[in-house]
Amino acid sequence: MTRDELKDYITKQFEGKMTLLDTGRHDPMFEVKPADLLEVSQKLHDDENLQLDFLCNLGAVDTGEIFEAVYSLDSTTLKMRLDFKLILPRDGAEVESVQKIWPGANWFEREMWELYGINILNHDNLKRFLLPDDWDQGHPMRKDWDAPDFIRMPEL
Amino acid sequence: MGIIKKLPAHLEKFPGGGIAVTSLETILLQGQSKSVWYLLFGTACCAIELMCTGASRYDFDRLGMIFRATPRQSDLIIAAGTITKKMAPRLRRLYDQMAEPRYVIAMGGCTIKGGPFYYDSYAVEKGIDHIVPVDIYIPGCPPRPESLLEGCIHLQEKIRQQKLSDWQEK
Amino acid sequence: MPELRTEEFQVNMGPHHPATHGVCRMILTMDGEKIVKIEPVIGYLHRALEKICENRTYAQCIPVTDRFEYVTAMSCNQVFAMAAERLAGIEVPERAEYLRVIMLELNRIASHLIFYGVTAMDLGALTPFLYGLREREAIIDLFEMTCGQRLTYNYIRVGGVAKDIPKEFIPKCHEAIDVITEKMSDYEGLLNENPIWLVRTKGIGVMPAKLGIDYGVSGPVLRASGVDYDIRRDDPYSIYDKFDWKPAVHQNGDCFDRYLIRLDEIKQSIKIIKQALEGLPEGDIKAKVSPNFKPPAGEVYARVENSRGELGIYIQSDGGKKPLRVKMRGGSYCQLQALPYFGTNCFIADLVAIFATLDIILPEVDR
Repeated sequence: MTRDELKDYITKQFEGKMTLLDTGRHDPMFEVKPADLLEVSQKLHDDENLQLDFLCNLGAVDTGEIFEAVYSLDSTTLKMRLDFKLILPRDGAEVESVQKIWPGANWFEREMWELYGINILNHDNLKRFLLPDDWDQGHPMRKDWDAPDFIRMPEL
Repeated sequence: MGIIKKLPAHLEKFPGGGIAVTSLETILLQGQSKSVWYLLFGTACCAIELMCTGASRYDFDRLGMIFRATPRQSDLIIAAGTITKKMAPRLRRLYDQMAEPRYVIAMGGCTIKGGPFYYDSYAVEKGIDHIVPVDIYIPGCPPRPESLLEGCIHLQEKIRQQKLSDWQEK
Repeated sequence: MPELRTEEFQVNMGPHHPATHGVCRMILTMDGEKIVKIEPVIGYLHRALEKICENRTYAQCIPVTDRFEYVTAMSCNQVFAMAAERLAGIEVPERAEYLRVIMLELNRIASHLIFYGVTAMDLGALTPFLYGLREREAIIDLFEMTCGQRLTYNYIRVGGVAKDIPKEFIPKCHEAIDVITEKMSDYEGLLNENPIWLVRTKGIGVMPAKLGIDYGVSGPVLRASGVDYDIRRDDPYSIYDKFDWKPAVHQNGDCFDRYLIRLDEIKQSIKIIKQALEGLPEGDIKAKVSPNFKPPAGEVYARVENSRGELGIYIQSDGGKKPLRVKMRGGSYCQLQALPYFGTNCFIADLVAIFATLDIILPEVDR
């Protein structure tokens, strides 16, 4: 499937569940509602014409007003790619774990939980990950995070 | 006999050979400076340059420097690469496990003052001299193998300038 | 006679351990001499590269990506430049694309030579280390000639490359790849039929293909398990579709196949470099890009195949001169994540072999 065919196929098959966004610059980018995440993911993984079995990347974005969780998928058999994202509120962000569908999501989700403070539901291993064990300064990847020994680069 | 000429030694020649008379201090320190065994402590980019220095082209062994995998057998830590806040207590622990006399070389910008990670990084320790005493600083990101060799020669020079009485005090 | 009973106990490996290629810590649960559970503990080299990139302009981000995966720093430059070009819609001149491919493939060979040396050293053979790093110096000389650095190049920039190659580059490059082609038989002769090497690697740490795909394992490690998947061919970037080559695939998925596949990849890379040197066109090496350029708002995930698998960068731009978010994804990250699921039920010495042949380097895991 070419990228345009993929866009048409997804819009038809996932009517109302996945909306095409115009921000994707190379591969198609869709928006999924957090409540539909597990259902959509399972279908993307199992659909005969998609077979998106490979989770390339999963990361959170802090835009200052909202959080986003961006999933990049790939099919090792049909060789195509698509991305989708969830929009999450900044207070009390919660997202379902997709590790039942793509087990590799485990560490990516742990990282989201630690660095952004997004709570992951039904995750089996939410423990300290990249930061020191005695870290008590909050979630450093948030845009409004600050600490006494954190030095910002001066504007040139 | 080039080495002997450089030593503060008195040379007595007689047919069939010769006798060099020198102080115990000179011999001990000379020996110590020529067999500095270093701990394999590579954390980041500089570790690759440390490996290159140990390999065939640069040949670390000719300075008498051989790598050891355990701190108990080594005299020198070459801190090659970024030390993060999570790693800092481990560096201190490794240093504490080494026997006296022990030396530290800070290799690369990260270990000197945080290097390229000085600004905007919440996880990098800004300079390892907060954690362990440093003898030689080698700048660069990463330093070339030649700079590392130069640094080690300076360390040998530093060792030779010690006094035996320094050892006794410790 | 009373029944013999064994008790599980824990062994801590790392963070400072000569066989973990950096600072990885693994908590091993042992039953007698067999490992029953592995728990990787990472973060000892977490340098917040993603946070740093958010506070730099696109041009300033490229030196930061050098430190992301320093053994193949060229491909990090490439993937970041590619993502920024896709965001801003910049066309790269053809000569620059050729130069990029030559550098990327030379760097892949350099990385696999390090793999060859270090893996053999972990398993107790010092000679391959000296051999591998000797030929690597020839490639490093080529990089030094072009961009002045040995390890962190900052050579591939947004819109092209930093500098044109000097006149003597092409003959020197031919010379270097001829030397490596000649020495390949030495490499193979040292290890391929060495009985100690075979016992240490054959049938050890078999990774099933399904497990690899589930956990996001990519690159040579996945291809050694029989999955014919190479981003250079399947999601072509730069000008890889112009060359005649094919990805190396092996079937067993054990340590020995993971070692063989790297040697095969060196041969394929040499093939690509020869074609690229032949077809190198004249022309510009850089599109006109302002150092403070502002790509329009949008997002992109770009990926390349580097010597450790899929290297990806996700950039989101809000229209400003600095990226809103940069997320880096390295192949080692997923390989280390998959390790506990196929590395168990073996001895600690075997774990060293498995860890070494996965070719994990820690900055890619911790970032």
